[in-house]
Amino acid sequence: MTQVHMIGAGMIPMGKHRQSSYSGLAVPAVLTALKSAGIAPKDVQSVACGHAFGGMLTAQRIVKEVGIGTVPMVNVDNACSGGATALSLGTRDILEGRAEVVLVIGVDKLTQFGGGTLPLVAEDPEVQQGMVMPAVYGMRARRFLHDRNETPATLAEVSVKARRHGKANPFAQFREDTTVEAVLASRPIADPLTLLQCCPTGDGAAAVVLVSDAYRKKLGAAGVRIAASILHAGQATSGFRNMLHPDISYHSAHDAYEQAGFGPEDLDLAELHDAFTIAELVYYEALGFCPEGEAGIFLKSGRSTYGGDLVVNPSGGLLAKGHPVGCSGVAQAVEVFWHLTGQAGARQVPDAKRALTHVTGGGIAGMDHGACTVHLFEASA
Amino acid sequence: MSGSTANAEPRGEYIVADAGPIADLDFSSRQDFTRRDGAVFLNASRSASSGSMAFPARTICQETAARDMEPIEVGPAGVLYSHSTIHVSATRQTPYTIGYVDFPNGLRVLAQVRGIAADAGCDIPVVLDADADGWFVVPAKKEV
Repeated sequence: MTQVHMIGAGMIPMGKHRQSSYSGLAVPAVLTALKSAGIAPKDVQSVACGHAFGGMLTAQRIVKEVGIGTVPMVNVDNACSGGATALSLGTRDILEGRAEVVLVIGVDKLTQFGGGTLPLVAEDPEVQQGMVMPAVYGMRARRFLHDRNETPATLAEVSVKARRHGKANPFAQFREDTTVEAVLASRPIADPLTLLQCCPTGDGAAAVVLVSDAYRKKLGAAGVRIAASILHAGQATSGFRNMLHPDISYHSAHDAYEQAGFGPEDLDLAELHDAFTIAELVYYEALGFCPEGEAGIFLKSGRSTYGGDLVVNPSGGLLAKGHPVGCSGVAQAVEVFWHLTGQAGARQVPDAKRALTHVTGGGIAGMDHGACTVHLFEASA
Repeated sequence: MSGSTANAEPRGEYIVADAGPIADLDFSSRQDFTRRDGAVFLNASRSASSGSMAFPARTICQETAARDMEPIEVGPAGVLYSHSTIHVSATRQTPYTIGYVDFPNGLRVLAQVRGIAADAGCDIPVVLDADADGWFVVPAKKEV
C-alpha cells in the first residue's frame, strides 16, 4: 500500500481579518502550500476543504481564484474538526488510489459573528438550555478542581505557557507574555474560566499538499509522512459521563498509536485542542502523555514545554495562535510540517522527528464531543 | 424468509406507517415537567426493551433505535455533578448558571441552576423546582 506524504504547507497569520472573504483568507495559504511543494495548481487532482461556517461551495470559491477546476472537490463541516476531517479525507483519497496529489484546506471566519461564543445549533436540547462551548469546558474545569484538589492557578498556567510559545510564532494571534495573576484577573466567561483561558475570536486559513509515495519520489521532495489518520464520532448516552475522561479522544488516540506503530513516548511535539485551558490538561491524559490524574503536575514540572518530554502546542495552540474552528486541524498540520522539516524558526523543536495533532469538536447533547481527529506524523526518510 | 416470524407485519407495512417526521420542535404541546404534591418531576421517557432513558422525552430509543419509549417521571431529587455560570451570551440574559444533574435512576440532565454560589463545588444535592419561566434545580434543604 502507498504511503501518504505532506510535501507542502502554508497558512496566514491568524487574527481579525474583517476585510477578507473566505477566498481572501485561503488563497495565500493555498499558494504558499503549492509553492513549498514545488507543484502547480494544475497538478492538483482532488481538493478537500474543512470549515464550519463557510457556507456553500467553500472549496470551489477558493480554488477557482487560482485556476484549479474540474477535479473532485468536497466541503466538510465537522465543527472544530472540519479541517482535520478534510485532512483525513485527503489521506484516504491517496490511500484508496483516487488521487496522487491532494490539496487540503482549512478555513473559517469567526469575525462574521461579531464576537462572543460560537453559535451552536439551536435545535439541540442542551443548547436550548443555554449550553455554549465555554460552559462545557467550564464544567470540566469545575470538576477538575474538585476531583484533583487543584487551584485555578493550575488552569492559568496553561495560558501562560501558550502565550510564551505564541510569542515566537509570527502566525499567532497573541504574541505577548501573560501571568497567572493576569489570567485569573481577566473577566469571567464561564466560571471558573476567565477570558484569557478561552481561545480568541479570529479568522484564519491553512493548506497542505498531500501526495502518494510514487509522486513524492518523482518530485524528489522532502516532507512528512502521515503515519496515522483517525476520525471518530462521539457516542450518545443519556446517563453518567466522567467529564475528565472524554472517551472520543481516548479512543482516537489509541487507534492512532496502533495504526502508526509508535506511541506517545516517541513524540517530539504535539498540537492538541486547547480551546480552553482545562482542555489541554484533560487531553494530556487522553493522549497518553501522562497517567490519568497527573495532568497538573505534568504541566507544572515543565514536561510539556521546551526541554520536557515533548513540546505541547509550540505554535501557542488555539489559546494563543487562535482557533478559527474549521481551519485549526489544517493549521496544526502546517505547524507540524514546519517543525519536522526544520522550518519553524525561533520556535523550532530541536531535532523533531515525530508529532501528533488532535482536534475535537462540537457541543452536542449526550456526546462528549461530536467529532475527534488524531493524526500522527513522521519526518519522511 | 430467514428471520421472519409468523405474526410479522405485512411486508413493507412500516414504510408508510413510520414515515412521518418527528415533531421535536413542537414546544407548545410539550410538557417538560409535572408538579404534584408540591414536588416537581421531569417528564422523561424510557425504552420498554432496552431501559435507555431520555430527557426531553423521545419517541425512539437512542441506544437501540426501538420505537418503544414510554413516559416516566424523574425527580425531584438529584445530584449536581458540575456547573458553570455563564457571563457572555448573545441570546439570553447573563449571568445564568447551568449544570449536569444526575438522578438516582441514572439519567443525566442539563439543568438551569439557581441559588448556588458561582464558586460552589461539585456533587451538591439538588431538587427540581419550577416557576412561570420553566423548571430548574436548587440546592436541597439540609435535613436537621
